[in-house]
Amino acid sequence: MKKNNAILLSTPYILWMLAFTLIPLGVVAYYAVTDPVTGAFTLDNLAQLRLYMPVLGRSVGYSIVSAIICLLLGYPVAYYIAHRGKVAQKMLYMLVMLPMCMSFLLRTLAWKGLLDDTGIINNFLGLLGLPTLRMVRTPGAVIMGMVYNYLPYMILPLYSTIVKIDRRLIEAAEDLGCTPVQVFQKVTLPLSMPGIFTGITMVFVPAVSTFYISQKLGSADTSLIGDVIERFFKGNNMNLGAALSLVLMVLVFVCTGIMNRFGDDEEGGVVV
Amino acid sequence: MSKELIRLRDLVMEFDGERILDSINLYINDHEFLTLLGPSGCGKTTTLRLIGGFLKATSGEVLFDGQEIGDVPPYKRQVNTVFQRYALFPHLDVFDNIAFGLRVAKVPKAEINERVHEMLGIVGLRGYENRRIDALSGGQQQRVAIARALVNRPKVLLLDEPLGALDLRLRKDMQNELKRIQQALGITFVYVTHDQEEALSMSDTVVVMDKGRIQQIGKPEDIYNEPKNAFVADFIGESNILDGVMLEDYKVRFFGRTFQCVDKGFERNEPVDVVIRPEDIDIVPASEGHLVGTVTAITFKGLNYDIIVEFRGFKWLIQSTDHCAVGSTIGIRLNPEDIHIMHKSEYSGMFGDYSSYSAEYDELTEDAGDEEE
Amino acid sequence: MKRTNRIFTVLIFIFLYIPMAVLVVASFNTGKNITVFEGFTLRQYAELFRDEDLLALLGNSLLIAVLSTLICVGLGTVAAVGIHNLKPRMRKAVMSLTNIPMTNPDIVTGISLSLLFVFVGSKMMGNDNSLNFGTLLIAHVTFGLPYVILNVMPKLHQMDSSLTDAAMDLGCTPMQSFFKVTLPEIMPGIVTGGIMAFTMSLDDFVISYFVIGFDFVTLPVEIYTYTRKAIPPKIYAMFTLLFLLIFGLMVAMNLMQLRSDRQKRSKRAVSDSKSKRIFKRVCAGLAALALVIGLGSFIGMTRQDKTVLNVYNWGMNIADGSDDTMDIIAEFERQNPDIDVRYSTYDSNEALYSKLKNGGVTVDVIIPSDYMIARMIDEGMLLELNFDNIPNYQYVDEIFKDPNTRTYDPENKYAVPYTWGTVGIIYNTKYVDEADLAQGWGILWDEKYADKILMIDNARDAFGIAQYLLGYSVNTTDHDELLACVEKLKEQKSVVQQYVMDQIYTTMENGEAWLAPYYAGDAMLMMDSNPDLAFYLPQDQGFNLFTDAMCIPSCAQEKEAAERFINFMTDPEISGANMDYICYASPISEAKNYMEEYLAESEVVYPPTEVQAKGTAFNFLPEEVSREMDQLFMEVRSTDTAEGGGTEDVIFLIVLGALAVAGVAFSVSSFVKKVKRKTKK
Repeated sequence: MKKNNAILLSTPYILWMLAFTLIPLGVVAYYAVTDPVTGAFTLDNLAQLRLYMPVLGRSVGYSIVSAIICLLLGYPVAYYIAHRGKVAQKMLYMLVMLPMCMSFLLRTLAWKGLLDDTGIINNFLGLLGLPTLRMVRTPGAVIMGMVYNYLPYMILPLYSTIVKIDRRLIEAAEDLGCTPVQVFQKVTLPLSMPGIFTGITMVFVPAVSTFYISQKLGSADTSLIGDVIERFFKGNNMNLGAALSLVLMVLVFVCTGIMNRFGDDEEGGVVV
Repeated sequence: MSKELIRLRDLVMEFDGERILDSINLYINDHEFLTLLGPSGCGKTTTLRLIGGFLKATSGEVLFDGQEIGDVPPYKRQVNTVFQRYALFPHLDVFDNIAFGLRVAKVPKAEINERVHEMLGIVGLRGYENRRIDALSGGQQQRVAIARALVNRPKVLLLDEPLGALDLRLRKDMQNELKRIQQALGITFVYVTHDQEEALSMSDTVVVMDKGRIQQIGKPEDIYNEPKNAFVADFIGESNILDGVMLEDYKVRFFGRTFQCVDKGFERNEPVDVVIRPEDIDIVPASEGHLVGTVTAITFKGLNYDIIVEFRGFKWLIQSTDHCAVGSTIGIRLNPEDIHIMHKSEYSGMFGDYSSYSAEYDELTEDAGDEEE
Repeated sequence: MKRTNRIFTVLIFIFLYIPMAVLVVASFNTGKNITVFEGFTLRQYAELFRDEDLLALLGNSLLIAVLSTLICVGLGTVAAVGIHNLKPRMRKAVMSLTNIPMTNPDIVTGISLSLLFVFVGSKMMGNDNSLNFGTLLIAHVTFGLPYVILNVMPKLHQMDSSLTDAAMDLGCTPMQSFFKVTLPEIMPGIVTGGIMAFTMSLDDFVISYFVIGFDFVTLPVEIYTYTRKAIPPKIYAMFTLLFLLIFGLMVAMNLMQLRSDRQKRSKRAVSDSKSKRIFKRVCAGLAALALVIGLGSFIGMTRQDKTVLNVYNWGMNIADGSDDTMDIIAEFERQNPDIDVRYSTYDSNEALYSKLKNGGVTVDVIIPSDYMIARMIDEGMLLELNFDNIPNYQYVDEIFKDPNTRTYDPENKYAVPYTWGTVGIIYNTKYVDEADLAQGWGILWDEKYADKILMIDNARDAFGIAQYLLGYSVNTTDHDELLACVEKLKEQKSVVQQYVMDQIYTTMENGEAWLAPYYAGDAMLMMDSNPDLAFYLPQDQGFNLFTDAMCIPSCAQEKEAAERFINFMTDPEISGANMDYICYASPISEAKNYMEEYLAESEVVYPPTEVQAKGTAFNFLPEEVSREMDQLFMEVRSTDTAEGGGTEDVIFLIVLGALAVAGVAFSVSSFVKKVKRKTKK
C-alpha cells in the first residue's frame, strides 16, 4: 500500500485521538492554573496541592502494596493456568476475566456486606460463638478491595507471558541439570519478567486512582487521592480537582515509564 | 570402543491410546555416532526424548551403563540435548547460555570461564561471548546450542534434528563440523534426522524407524546395500522394487526372466521383493538387453540423467551419464550383484514404482521438516 | 508442589467469586439487607421486569455500548491498516497516542474529557447542554478505540505481507484485496477488540460518571447513585441475570472457538470456512445490534415529541410508588401527557451548585435548601417564577411567605417551598446511653462511641454543628471562628467512622454506626425500618431549621412546564402523598389531611412551636466565605489526624521506604551487570 494511503487511512483516527486524549489533557492543565471564580491565571491550586500530599502518599503506598500482593497471589494462579490443557486454559482464562465484566461497584458493595461489623463473616463468627473481627474501615480492607478488583489485571498478562515461554527452554534447563526449583529461578521467572512488570503497572494504575473502594471499605482516615479528586470535581472546585488529577497523571506516567524501561517494551501492556 | 552404554528394552509409548512406539529394542555403544532415521511421525524424536528423560515410557526400560533410569529426571541424567531449533535462553547472552549448566552444577568460576572459552573455540565462536541470542544467525545459534550441551561433558549427546532449520549449504558444513567434534571429543552422539543423506554420511550406525518400529539397524553401507524391506529400500536412496519369485538360492525370476543373483536362504518359490538401485543399471542397445523398454522421460540432474523407462507397463528409474531420447527403445543389463532380494513385508507393493514420477521426487521428504509434535 | 498450586488456585477463584455469590444469593432474598438471608423469593426478578426505568437504563447502556463499539471497530480497523503502513517513526508516535487512554487512570480520562466538553461547549459555544448523549458516546469511543487498534495491529503484523500482493497479482483492486484477504485474516483481532470495547463500554462507570449529563444516564452510573443510599434488591436480580448472560456468552464463544480449532486440526480443507463463519456471525450480530439501535432510536423518537422536563432533586426525596406510596412522577406525567420527566438526584446543596455552576447541563427544576437559594439568587443563577402558573401557591402557609422568616428569598420571587425540617442527631437506643445526649452536639465527639459515629458530609451542615457546639452564629463570616470550627472538626476525625450523606441509611439501619447528625425526615424513614433508632434535637445549643424549595435555574429550557410541575407539587393532596414517602414536614398545612396520621402528629416531623423557635436558619454567606468553608471542610476530610491512622501510615511509610530501597538496589544491580558485561567485551 502506498504511503499516502496509509496517512489517509490513519488521519481520522489520529485527529480523533488528538482531539479527545491529548487536547483534554491540555484543558486539564488549563483548569489547574485558573482561578475557580474569576477564571484568571493563578498558581493557588498548585500551591494547595501540598495539603493533599499525605493522601497521595497513602494512595501510592496502598497501591504498591496491593500490586505486590496481587503479584504474589496472581503468579501461582497464572502459572497453574498456563500449564493446563488447552480447553482448561481457555475456561480458566475466561473465569478470571469474567469478574472484570461485572459491575465493580456492586462487587465492592458485596465485600462491604461480607466485612462489615454486622456483616456476613461476623454474623457467621457470631453463630459459631467466636468473637467478631473488625475488618471494614481498616487500611487492610481497602487494600483487599484493591487486590480483589485488580487481581485479574495481574493474572491475565502473567498468564500470557508464561504460556508463551517455550517448553523446550524448560526442557533445556532440565537437560542442563536444573532441578524444578532452579528451572523456575533461572528460566521461568526471568522470562516472565515482562509479564510481571505489565501486571504491576496494570494493577498500580487503577488502584492508585480508584475513588470508590475507600468510600465503601475504608474509614475517614483511608480516603485516597481519587476520592479527593472526585469530591472537588463533583463538589465545588473543579480547578483544584484538575490540579490534583494533573499530579496523578504525572505520577502514573512516571511509574509506567519506569516499568516500561524494566519491562523490555515491545510486548505492549494490553492483554485483557 | 564398543562398550555398551545405553540399552532400550521393549520400550512402548502410548499417547491417548495411540501407540507411538512399539517395543523398541536398541543398544548404543560408547563413542558411537548413532542416527535414528525415519519420516516424520515415525517415533524417532520420542525415542530420543525417552533417553533424555523428558518423557516416561508406557512400558519397557531405559538402561544407562546397566542401570535402569526410567524414573530419573532429566536434570540428573548424564546426557545433554541439542534441541530442535536450539531452545537457547533469550534472556541470557552467548556466554551465559553456555555457562548455564556449569553454573547450575556450581562449577568454580575460573573453571567455567576456561571451559566456556574452550568450547567457544571448538565451535568457532570466539569473540561472540556477549552477543544477544537474537543477534546471531541460525548457524551461530546452532553452534551455541551444541556448545551449551557439550560444555557439560556429557557421556551422551542427544541431537534432535539439529540442522533442520539451516539452509542446505550450512547444513553440509555443520555435518562435517559435528562429525569432527564427535571424533575429537569421543562422545556418544545419538542423532535424530529425517534426512537419509545426513544419516548415511555421518553415522557409525543407522537405525531406520517407521510407524513406531525399528525397521533396520546397521552400518550405513549395509543399510544402503542390503535394505531389509521395501520401506528401507525406498527411504534410503532410490530403488526400483519389483515383485519376484525366488526359485532357489542365487536364482530369482521376475518380468518373465530368470536372473542370477547373490542372495540365498529363501524358501523355494518364495515370492520376494526385488530391489534394483537406479545407478546400478547398465544401458545397452535394445538387442543386447536382458529387458527392453521405452524411454518415457528424461531429466538432466547435473551428475547424471534420470531416465524413466517403461517395461511392460512398469516404470523404472535409471540413472545414467548417457543421454537417451524420449521414445527410444533401449535395453538394460543387470549383473547378479545389482539385484538385491528381500522378504515380502507389509510395505511390499507400496514403493518402488516410478509411474507417478516427477522431477521433484527427491524433495518429497523435505516437507517432513515439522516433525511429530 | 503441583498439588498445593492447584489448591491455591482454587482458593483464589473462590476469592474472586465470593462477592458475586453474595450478590446472586441476595437477589433471592426476601429481605433488603444482603448480610441476612431472610427467605427465598423470586419477587426481585418480577419487580425488575416491571421497573421500566431500570430497563430503560440498561437499554441506554446497551445502546451506547453498541454504537461506540461499531464506531470503534470501523474507525479502528481502518486506522490500524493505515498505521500499519506508516513509516516506523510515525507509527511509534501514533501508537504512543493510542496508549494514552490505556495508561491514563480512568478518573483522569473522565475529568479531562468532561472539562474539554464543558470548556468547548459552554465557554466557547455558549451551549448549556454540552454534556449529552453525543459527548458520552465520544468518551466511550475514545477509550474503546485503543482496544480495537491493539488487537488488530498484531494480526496485521502476523499477516504475510505477500498475501495482499498475491491478491493484487490475481487481479484484485487494493480495495478488493482488503476485503477478500486482509479483512478475513485480521477478523479475529477485530472481533476480540470489538468485544473488549463492548464490555468496557457496557461496564464503564468511572469515565461515564464524570462525562455524563442529565438527559442520558447509563446503568453503572445509576448503580453508583443507588449504592450511595439503600440499594433496591432488584439491582441484585439484574446483576444475576447479567452475570448469567455474560457467562453464557463467554462459554459459547469458547466452545465455538474450540470446535473450529479442532476442525482445523482434523481437516485443513475446512479451515477456510472458519473465517467465513466468524464473518457471518459478526454480520448476524451486527444485524441484531442494528435492530436494538433501531428500537432504541424509535423509543427516542416517540419521546421526542414530548416536552422533556429535567428535574433535579435530592436523593430519595420524592415518592416513587414503592411501599404503597403514590408514584408522584408517574402521576404528573399522567396528568400532563405532553411532558416527559427526566429525574435525577444529587446529595448535597454544594453538589447541585457546582453542577450548575460548572455548566454543561440543562435542568428545569431544582430543590435546593434555603441558604443555597440565597446564594444562587445572589449569583443570578435562578429565574423569577411566574406565579400565575402556580395557583396552588395559595395553599402554602403564610409563615413561609413572611419575609422575616423567609430570609433566603424575602421578595417571594424565586422559590416555592417543598419541605421543611430540622437537623438533629439520630442514635441507636440499643448502644447509646441517653444520658450522654446531655452533651448535645458534643456526643458526636464522645470517645466512648469512637468509630460508631457518622458525620454529615457537607460543609455547611458540618460547620453548623461545630458552630452550635462552640456557641458561634451559624451565619458567621468571622475567619477566626471558622478556623476554630476547623480545629473542632479535625478533633472529631479520630472518632468518626465515615463522612456520609445518603449512605447513612444502610449504615444506621444495620447497626454499623450508632450516632449521626441528619435530617429529621430521613430520621423518620430510618426509624421506620429500625425501631431501635431515635431522633434528638439539641435544643439548648441550637439546631438548623431548614426549608427546601423548588426553583427554576437560569439554564432551564422548559420554564412553563417547570412551573406546571411546581404547581403540581404544591397541590395539598400531592404534597401530602409525597410526605408519606419522604417523611418531611410539608409547608402546606392542608397537606396534613392527606398524610398518614403518625406522620402528621409526629414531633420529629412537626416539632412543637416552642422547639421550632430554638432552631436557626442558615443564611446566605458571601461567596468567598462559602468557598473558604468548602475548602476548609475538604481539608478536614482529607488531611490526616495526628493519631487515628497514624501508626498505620507509619507502617506504610516504612514499607514504602523498603520498596524504594529495593527498587533502587535492583536498578543499580542491573546497571552494574550491564556495565560488567560491557567491560567483559
